[in-house]
Amino acid sequence: MKPIRKSEILRYLGYRKDMEINEHTDELIDQCIDELKKVINPQFVYKRFPVKRVDDTILIEGMSINSKALSKNLEGCNEVYLFAATVGIGVDQMIRRVEITNMAKAAIYQATGAEMVECVCDDLNDKLKEQAKEEHLYLKPRFSPGYGDTSLELQKDFERLLKMSEIGIHLTESLLMVPSKSVTAFIGITDYPQKSVSGCKACDKLDCPSRKE
Amino acid sequence: MSFKERLGKEWLFWDGGFGSILQEWGLKAGEKPEYWNLQHPEKILRINREYFEAGSDVVNANTFGANALRFPDNLKEIVQSAVRLAKKARKEAHREEDGYIALDLGPTGKLLEPLGDLPFEKAVNLYKEVIGYALEIGVDLILIETMTDAYEAKAAVLAAKESCDLPVCVTVTFDEKGKLLTGGTPESVVALLEGLKVDAIGVNCSLGPKQMIPFIKRMINSSSLPIIVNPNAGLPKSKDGHNYYDMTSEEFVGYMSEIADLEVAVLGGCCGTTPEYIKGLVDMCKTKPFHPPVKKHHSVVTSFSQSVEIGKKPVIIGERINPTGKKKFKEALKNHDINYILSQGLQQEDAGAHILDVNVGLPEINEADTLVEVMSQLQSVTALPLQIDTGDFEAMERSLRLYNGKAMLNSVNGKQEIMDHVFPIVAKYGAVVVALPLDESGIPEISEKRIEIAKKIYKEAEKYGISKDDIVIDGLAMTVSSDSSSALVTLETLRRIRDELQGHSILGVSNISFGLPQRKIINSHFLTMAMHDGLSCAIINPNAQDMMNSYRAYNALTNQDENFNEYISAYADVKTETVKKAVSEMSLFDSVKRGLEKNAAAATKEGLKERDGLTLINEELIPALDEVGKGFENGSIFLPQLLMSAEAAKAAFAVIKESMKGVETESKGKIILATVKGDVHDIGKNIVKVMLENYGYDIIDLGKDVAPEVIVDTAIKNDVRLVGLSALMTTTVVNMEETIRQLREKKPDTLVCVGGAVMTQDYADQIGADAYCKDAMETVHYADSVFIKNEGEK
Repeated sequence: MKPIRKSEILRYLGYRKDMEINEHTDELIDQCIDELKKVINPQFVYKRFPVKRVDDTILIEGMSINSKALSKNLEGCNEVYLFAATVGIGVDQMIRRVEITNMAKAAIYQATGAEMVECVCDDLNDKLKEQAKEEHLYLKPRFSPGYGDTSLELQKDFERLLKMSEIGIHLTESLLMVPSKSVTAFIGITDYPQKSVSGCKACDKLDCPSRKE
Repeated sequence: MSFKERLGKEWLFWDGGFGSILQEWGLKAGEKPEYWNLQHPEKILRINREYFEAGSDVVNANTFGANALRFPDNLKEIVQSAVRLAKKARKEAHREEDGYIALDLGPTGKLLEPLGDLPFEKAVNLYKEVIGYALEIGVDLILIETMTDAYEAKAAVLAAKESCDLPVCVTVTFDEKGKLLTGGTPESVVALLEGLKVDAIGVNCSLGPKQMIPFIKRMINSSSLPIIVNPNAGLPKSKDGHNYYDMTSEEFVGYMSEIADLEVAVLGGCCGTTPEYIKGLVDMCKTKPFHPPVKKHHSVVTSFSQSVEIGKKPVIIGERINPTGKKKFKEALKNHDINYILSQGLQQEDAGAHILDVNVGLPEINEADTLVEVMSQLQSVTALPLQIDTGDFEAMERSLRLYNGKAMLNSVNGKQEIMDHVFPIVAKYGAVVVALPLDESGIPEISEKRIEIAKKIYKEAEKYGISKDDIVIDGLAMTVSSDSSSALVTLETLRRIRDELQGHSILGVSNISFGLPQRKIINSHFLTMAMHDGLSCAIINPNAQDMMNSYRAYNALTNQDENFNEYISAYADVKTETVKKAVSEMSLFDSVKRGLEKNAAAATKEGLKERDGLTLINEELIPALDEVGKGFENGSIFLPQLLMSAEAAKAAFAVIKESMKGVETESKGKIILATVKGDVHDIGKNIVKVMLENYGYDIIDLGKDVAPEVIVDTAIKNDVRLVGLSALMTTTVVNMEETIRQLREKKPDTLVCVGGAVMTQDYADQIGADAYCKDAMETVHYADSVFIKNEGEK
């Protein structure tokens, strides 16, 4: 797994440049990172499918998705990866535990877990990018169900197509993923390099508290 | 001969891959293999038949993923067609005399509560439904397979046992580290499934035969049951994420030949294997001697992931989750303050307990309901195994049924009536049970009689198939001050349990010292003596330093603490602790501001020598909290620091409250907090709770995934003026809206503030909330505005 970026953990925790972190908080964050490292069990699953776009409707392996945002994201793609990644249920168990004994740690675990699953995704992304390169193909930025105008209902298709439960990702009735530190996403495949906006800039949720400036 | 008559006595062979063959034949990603029972029955029939022909003694009906969640409309047709096809295949292969058909049960696809949202009993019923349909057509046995969560396996086993008398086999799926996805190990899985009295256990899927070998060995070492081995054809290779297997049947059989030399009983395959592989296994075993399973003697208690073996070095059982003589604990039980109870458990875990005793018996509460709730919540925060401590048979049965793992049960005794009630429960669910050697004529005063009753209990348990390994005899520690020879009798009993019965023993150690001053002196020395005389389990307060000192010293001195690891890790740092104490000269204000919990408590104790609690609160605590709160609001302090200060303040408040015992502390008002239905994460709500509590509010915390009706009823019952609701996702905001609607209708004078990841002012207005609070501090200000305004109106 890629090295955990403390700067990202701080960002999730609402840290801004001009703030001062006292020594104890800094120590506590390091301690939390070490503790979570012991319990994570990173897993991922992905599959490659052909994709068709007809106006704002996207067709992938029996799915028919109506979304402007995803259609824009998959512009120029003939194929797409669907993937799911998680750091495992251990992180949720640890969070529950400290919610009883120490809320500060609970908040730090949350942020650290989020960064950890991000690292798992980045790893997989790099791996897929390498594979694509060998075929002279290029990858689009990741796009997750729930972004922009897409519905969380898409999670059910991910569950069906990827058999996510085999790596321990389950959906609740309300379409939340358990373990909570899990990610699903599309990654479009194109045959020419793309200059496209990614990350926060690609998202139109302008009031998101974690938005990067 | 039936499957059961042959199992464990001769080589038997299961079938191999199924889904992997269908994929080669055109099954698409996301397409359900069980649909092929109806769409391509000839193909299903062919696979079943070819396995029988290749020499499989057991063939699975194509029902692995069949349950009402995946097939809400035609489950019966799917299941019954699968069983019919398997039967037809057996006939065509001329294996009707010696071939068996297994109903194949896989995971439900959902995660069980409390981590997920599928209730345990619902899982049991999902399996029962499938079993019921299969029984109408007739199968020979039930296979529960590819289980990555031992709890789900337990639900499936209970469904099978409660539906029929057919043999039940279970195979689980380990990752390359030998763990289930929810943390189980070979040892914990064996203990759980043997306790549930399945007929055979084993491993399948995920790994190839080579990677499975160490885990198969661990299963054999701990289990007395026949072992099933159904590996994949090696580790999966992946092309574009689509798995395939490239281990040849020769290679596969080569590795399986190594496994066949171990004490295993049934061989087969999983993903990537075909009838050719099975035929290879059958041929290979023709020259292999069969090793029948050997009876093992282990006394093991487990949680979902950890196992504790009794009979090696002494086991510490934490006694603090018990209301007896504890005012605060009783209050917590009455007020349904589950978090307080959980914190008692976590504290004991940190102090070194291996197992936690759980006793929630109070006359004014429903013991069974409370025990089940506390047990299940404890299992969501700690992986320590639990000892269910109750005399209420209903509470016993319900908690052992829902327990995730193989529990310890406290207790049974030599009274016939008690044994008649307790042993059937233990026999059904599996448990290590504490047995008190007393009977209808009371507590024997001499050890001979205690041993005699212990023997009677062993014998009676055997009638139910409960092994002596699963019984731990209590040495009965009686108050030494009322009978000065009683400690000697107890110690003698312990020695005789060890030497004459070759059994395991347990003691509630601190009973010994009632009525004496400085009880810890007697307790800790008695513990050392008892361990020396063979005590297997000590029920003690692990937070008591003297007890843990005795325990660690005993292990170190009796060569039971390798390299003195435990001793050194517990005591090597003691010196530095005393140095750190100097910091406690920091003021309470600074301690809270800097978020130093221990310092805050020490400074409060110090401060109370000169000033009273209220002055401390008003002059130091609240000003410190306000300053940090302001910093948070103006962006100079971030969330973890705010929370560390909150925790420090909480520690200070606890000290002050302790000092004002008896004095009614005034609360600013009662507030309900809840995360709405559908949302299973509640950290945001919990942050708000900590802050509100620090500012003097009484919080009724309803937890997460809370139905609107519950919130409304609680608001009415407690006449609550303010409700705080949290929602994390757009999909659950509708439930927030519904909660507000019902509150308006039934309790119109209650105000509602909302928050959460997806909430905005616009959203809050849309759903009719009274206020949107973007963070914990805003909630505090809003609550102040509500309650202080209302005070004025009074």
